Amino acid sequence: MNKVKGVIIPAKTGIRKTIIDFLEKAMEKGVFDAVIIPMKLPAGDSFAYVLVEDKYLLKNAIPLPPTMFVQGAKAISSVTRLGEGKMKIAAIMRPCEIRAAIELAKLGQINLENMTLISIDCPGVLPTSDFLSNPEKNMKLFDDAAKNLDDKIMRPVCQICDKSSMVSGDIHIGTLGAKKDTVFIISNSKKGEDIADKLGISLKDNIDSWQDKVKSISEEKQKKRKKAHKDLKVKVGGLDNLVEAFSHCINCHNCMRVCPVCFCRLCYFDSDKVKHRSDDYLQKAEVKGGMRFLPDTALFQMGRMMHMSLSCVSCGACEDACSMSIPVAQIFSMIADETQGLFDYISGRSLDEPIPLIAYKEEELEEMEDAND
Amino acid sequence: MERKIGVYICECGPNIAEKIDIDKVIDALLPIEDVTVVEKFKLLCSAEGKKYLEEQIKKQDLTHLVIAACSPTEHEKTFMEVCENSDLNPYLFQLANIREQCAWITEDKDEATKKAIRLVKAAIGRVRYHSSLEKKEIESNPDVLVIGGGIAGIEASLQLASSDRKVYLVEKNSSLGGLVTNFEKTFLGMKSASDVINRKINDINTNENIKIFTNSEVEEAIGFFGNFEVKIKRTDNENGSVEFDVGAIVLATGSTLFNPDKTPRYGYGKLDNVLTSLEFEKMNLSGKITLKNGKAPKSVAIIHCVGRDEKGYCSEICCMYSLKFARYLVDKIPNIKVTNFYSDLCIPGKTYQKFYDETKGNNVEFIRSFDVEIIKKDNQLNIRYKDENKVKKSLFADMVVLSPAIEPAIDASKVAEITGISQGEEGFFAEEHEKINPISTSTEGIYIVGCAQGPKNISDSVVQSQAAAGKILSSLVPGRKIEPEVKTSQISESFCIGCKTCISVCSYGAITFDEAKKISVVNEVICRGCGNCVAACPSGAASLKHSKFNQIYQEILEAVK
Repeated sequence: MNKVKGVIIPAKTGIRKTIIDFLEKAMEKGVFDAVIIPMKLPAGDSFAYVLVEDKYLLKNAIPLPPTMFVQGAKAISSVTRLGEGKMKIAAIMRPCEIRAAIELAKLGQINLENMTLISIDCPGVLPTSDFLSNPEKNMKLFDDAAKNLDDKIMRPVCQICDKSSMVSGDIHIGTLGAKKDTVFIISNSKKGEDIADKLGISLKDNIDSWQDKVKSISEEKQKKRKKAHKDLKVKVGGLDNLVEAFSHCINCHNCMRVCPVCFCRLCYFDSDKVKHRSDDYLQKAEVKGGMRFLPDTALFQMGRMMHMSLSCVSCGACEDACSMSIPVAQIFSMIADETQGLFDYISGRSLDEPIPLIAYKEEELEEMEDAND
Repeated sequence: MERKIGVYICECGPNIAEKIDIDKVIDALLPIEDVTVVEKFKLLCSAEGKKYLEEQIKKQDLTHLVIAACSPTEHEKTFMEVCENSDLNPYLFQLANIREQCAWITEDKDEATKKAIRLVKAAIGRVRYHSSLEKKEIESNPDVLVIGGGIAGIEASLQLASSDRKVYLVEKNSSLGGLVTNFEKTFLGMKSASDVINRKINDINTNENIKIFTNSEVEEAIGFFGNFEVKIKRTDNENGSVEFDVGAIVLATGSTLFNPDKTPRYGYGKLDNVLTSLEFEKMNLSGKITLKNGKAPKSVAIIHCVGRDEKGYCSEICCMYSLKFARYLVDKIPNIKVTNFYSDLCIPGKTYQKFYDETKGNNVEFIRSFDVEIIKKDNQLNIRYKDENKVKKSLFADMVVLSPAIEPAIDASKVAEITGISQGEEGFFAEEHEKINPISTSTEGIYIVGCAQGPKNISDSVVQSQAAAGKILSSLVPGRKIEPEVKTSQISESFCIGCKTCISVCSYGAITFDEAKKISVVNEVICRGCGNCVAACPSGAASLKHSKFNQIYQEILEAVK
């Protein structure tokens, strides 16, 4: 991995405006032909990712919206799933969205050839249902909380997120530790440095105050995260507890549909392969004396854990989408930390790290071999 | 469709009958849905047994067949043929192994019977979900590409060429013969090497069924057993490229020597009169063994095992050719003193020991030594070493011959990439199985012979070439079609997300990527049905035609219920 470099630039007009100016300038100079960025929709109470081709539209952009209706990686995947286009596109997103995009790139679901990934220090997002209860009020609440680094009203997984400033894309915009009316432009990739170069920004080394602040926040969050996972494990650990945790599940599969790294075209659990003859169900019921319907709710979640916990970025989209208030994202963040930890892997940290699923090592997981001894 | 599953239990003489209560098994199976008949028979694999099965399949109008008998490796094929003979698709059959897995592993008849019931139930549960699979036949090209024109490649070409089979022999150098052309004599018989190699080269030059391309390299070899498309490049001609089709490929790319430069303590490249074995062979062939000053040496040291520690393997042939060098020297230079420094002598087999005994004495000495170092002292080469007791000693010699380890040819990795054959840790081409398939590779139709597979003497190289020729002659018969594997993998278009994980785990190069549809596609002719892709596919798109999820699920369900 490259060394993280950065520079302080003035932000007298505020962070939002500074980012927009930066993007406008890049579009003017032809560094990007288009930008994917969250925008406030005309109704005023809603946000969506927009592929902006006309730079004058950028004035409506909200780089850090209070909610995450659609996980940004899904937006990038929609644009590049069938290969790169001729347009050079910049995507401005939260770090967890950028990390999901990197995971999808490894799985061939995103083509980063002409794509520049730009992340921003993230204060967290509001749970969708909270936001929708009173958009206007909540927009303000979010802005204040973001300014004060107060995460109490954010998604539960945002409250324990220790990667909210992770630089894994091409350019990162740092707001933490910045003096008044300044922001940091940061990069740890050649691609990012080249782009900064073209915009007349030369990246140096003076990002100590950002790094210090990021370090202290992520250390504090890491402690919180470990504790939260420990407490959660008591509640949902073991098969019986886990089945219990998902007992409200109505099999709507929303969590899967909104998950950025649930990359399958057709979910196995939506396919005919899990539809059985009534005799087969009777056979299953026979074993335990009874069988709960709808079938396979916990199995579906375990299947998802097996499939994508290695790529899970703990963004919280699944939990937001759960109409039954199951703490899906919290459970998945716990599982993800453990499975990724087995392989010293962090999802979306770097494009150069292969997903453990396809990285073959002759000697690994030896501690698992003797599990039954 | 109405299923009629017939279950037949083989007594296997006393083998199964005495250890399992077969009547109890029959009683347990009879009530199962779709099972129309359960019978036992003395020996189902006998001619009588096969006839009985054929009659039963027709008489009972069976749609599926389960046989409880021995291991599939023993008689699965036998019973599949029975199915074919009675017009039942052989893939609608399942064999339950109640001999090796029940009868033979316990004295407890009750337990053996219980397990047998489970296994047969599992087979019935599974066979219910089997589907008919059809055999395919494809045209094949009987011609063969041989890469490398050394003794191994020449021998393979000569064995293979015939009026109905062309051989294309591609050699990167300007002439054929390889390393052997540098030798005056071959060891053991001390017979003329040029007699051997020149006769072979002459045979090959006059064989009109062998097309020789010297100064040429293979650029592309795409396809599969029976149908490879090959493109070669003439290195002496900018625009010279030739394309042709073959059915099989023999890799005979030979070897090169470990460069003693990498081990500075031997002084190679810095001290005069320190030669490698190949340089010495060439000097000897030129007719005169002399020192740099033109005089004949009075003493020569031969250092064995050069580079053995660095490479991590013994090169098998260095001891023998070092003995041959001693013979050259003693025969040609009167009163010469030859000293062999070795760490272990490799003289196996029925004749090598005799050759060693004959060579030893007569001014030829052997010293077991370690940490050999060569320096210049008093204008002479001084060999410093530790003897068996770790005592430091030294000895003077006029000339030093190094016997370096044998390495794969320099361009082996390029050939590996072009043909898709993997290389082992040492860089030699990887055989399919070290013991039982030493010349086959993971790709059907591609064989490795001679030093391309590992260090080898001339006779072993020739043996391998003849073996490869035998394999090809028996499997790639002109005019006969080939039957690819039926139980292959398949990738569902609607499930595949195009992540290419399957391509990275396929050992046979059987999966390609459809750029238009952005999905992976299995080439069923190349696929061997190993199931790697099925296990690795993250989205459940890959499945084996004869081990589908539901087949396995139902089988396990019955076995554990």
